[in-house]
Amino acid sequence: MAEIRLLNLRKEFKGTVAVQAMDLEIKEGEFLVLVGPSGCGKTTTLRMIAGLEDPTSGEIYIDGRPANDLEPGQRNVGMVFQNLALFPHKAVFDNIAFGPRMKKVPADEIRSRVEQVAKTMHIAHLLGKFPAQCSGGEAQRVALARTLITDPAAFLLDEPLSNLDAKLRKEMRAEIDGLHSRLRKTFVYVTHDQEEAMTLADRIVVMRDGRIEQVGTPLEIYHDPVNLFVATFFGSPAMNVIGGEVRRKAGGPVFTFDGWHVPLEGVGEVPDGPATLGVRPEALRVEGVTGGYRARVTLVEPLGKETLIYLDYGADRLLIAVASPSFWVEEGASVEFDFRGGRLYLFDREGRRLGRG
Amino acid sequence: MTKRAKRRLRAIGRYTALGVWAVVVAFPLFWSVMTSFKPPYEWFTWPPTWIPNPFTLNNYRVVWFGELLDTQYVQSASIQTPFFALVNSIAIAGTSTSLSVVLGLLLAYGVSRYGILSEATLFRLLILRMVPPIVVAVPVVIYYATLGLSDTYVGLITVYVVSTLPYAVWMTKSFIDEVPVEIEQSAQLLGASRLRTIWEVVFPLVRSGVVATFMFILILTWSEYLMALFLSATNISTLPVQLNKYEGSTEGRLYGWQQALSLGVTLPLIVIGYAIHKHLVRGFSFGMLKR
Repeated sequence: MAEIRLLNLRKEFKGTVAVQAMDLEIKEGEFLVLVGPSGCGKTTTLRMIAGLEDPTSGEIYIDGRPANDLEPGQRNVGMVFQNLALFPHKAVFDNIAFGPRMKKVPADEIRSRVEQVAKTMHIAHLLGKFPAQCSGGEAQRVALARTLITDPAAFLLDEPLSNLDAKLRKEMRAEIDGLHSRLRKTFVYVTHDQEEAMTLADRIVVMRDGRIEQVGTPLEIYHDPVNLFVATFFGSPAMNVIGGEVRRKAGGPVFTFDGWHVPLEGVGEVPDGPATLGVRPEALRVEGVTGGYRARVTLVEPLGKETLIYLDYGADRLLIAVASPSFWVEEGASVEFDFRGGRLYLFDREGRRLGRG
Repeated sequence: MTKRAKRRLRAIGRYTALGVWAVVVAFPLFWSVMTSFKPPYEWFTWPPTWIPNPFTLNNYRVVWFGELLDTQYVQSASIQTPFFALVNSIAIAGTSTSLSVVLGLLLAYGVSRYGILSEATLFRLLILRMVPPIVVAVPVVIYYATLGLSDTYVGLITVYVVSTLPYAVWMTKSFIDEVPVEIEQSAQLLGASRLRTIWEVVFPLVRSGVVATFMFILILTWSEYLMALFLSATNISTLPVQLNKYEGSTEGRLYGWQQALSLGVTLPLIVIGYAIHKHLVRGFSFGMLKR
């Protein structure tokens, strides 16, 4: 078990800054997900924890010990790479046995440990095969088993599921989740997939341009984003954004766009001026609305359990509403929509959330 | 024309072209082998005889064992058995090729993983190799005379290692580049030292490429003539140098004898090539085949 602490961590590659001023505490036994668009520094951060990348400045502590000067093999962390990095010339058995062999574990003990790990990962039948003969999901399990057998204090996973198809990805996601609940070890998981982050994480670290944008539980991140970037990154379909202005009226502040006024209830103290209104698709109502705003339906996507309605209200971006599966409108028809009862988010021109706490 | 007929026609065309090319390539070898079994009067006869008549082993007996000299049509050539040169060739080509490949592999690893030389620098070094050997031959002879390296194993091996190293680095680098660095890193994370990683993970994955590089450089050093001629005298002599010695004072070039020796020069390479052909197919395809 290990807690990992990053202090003012910075990494530059030939003049470009990949990670800057990163402070992060990863708790013992926690499942932490680093998430962000590609190039945000999440993989670099993970590689610095593993010791594969030397930080330009800042410190890394693993289990309270300074780890900056430790070789990757001395840090007692296990890593699963995006391309899995199995040894193609070694059979599955020898791939899994590689770690214990490096630690000079006696041969018969290695055999029994490999067999045991293979059993828990359901790959006992593959031990004699080579990685190229394994399917994507099987190779995934082998990579996990190879790390698992060395009993590392922390698992580092770098987009391990990105090469799998959607169905297998969901299966393996559940498997990794189960593995974490069983082992109760520290997991640090890198992904660009917000859904993966939401479903797996105890805590999510949202990164952009080498900086941490927000740290929080999945629900905190979803319901209380600190800025427009985090707000639109999480949730599928993404949060609707509407450009407009905050004005003060007799009955309280309103958000005006396109000649319409939206009363701002429960948004907190917000200053007047240009702003962006954010509303999640499930909070945008189109069913049974009278006296709402008007928009043209450009696309109707029935997904079975719900139906997505794309609305053109005259701006350059479409709005998306989630309607019940029984709801139906023709494309091209005009409908009314409102945000009544739904939660509204306001952001300033720089994308910072307004009226938050 | 149906699609099938078209495809067939294309195949016929392709195989005809390849067949013609194969004949062009193989003909000198055929002629060499046939000449080596011909009696002296058939060496130059016109119109040429394709198949030796009578078939004789005399050329081999003369060249390799020094027999029959007085009974032969040719009498005035100075003869020395080529076994001495064969041993020399094996020692010099074998040592210099091994050194070149080992040094090349280590250098290539440094270039590929640590960028110790830029691609541009490496390319410049390779271009240097395009200089015709004769340009540097005379200066090297003068240096070597001064340094006492003329006519020594060390001297010739050094020249061969230096001149083939750029090839060795380029070729092995392309194979190392193909090994994803994550494979090495995962070995390190599992506790393997740098050397252990190279030995257990990198080397097995580039083995085919290394074998192909070895063969390529062996062919270069084994058949090198100019430097061997300039830098050898009585102590060392390689087979290509011997090959040029079969010239009688009155008879001109002794083709039968020369070809009997040339088969001895060619055969070892063919045997080695056959022994490692599995690696060559993978190695010479430069990773175009999936591992």
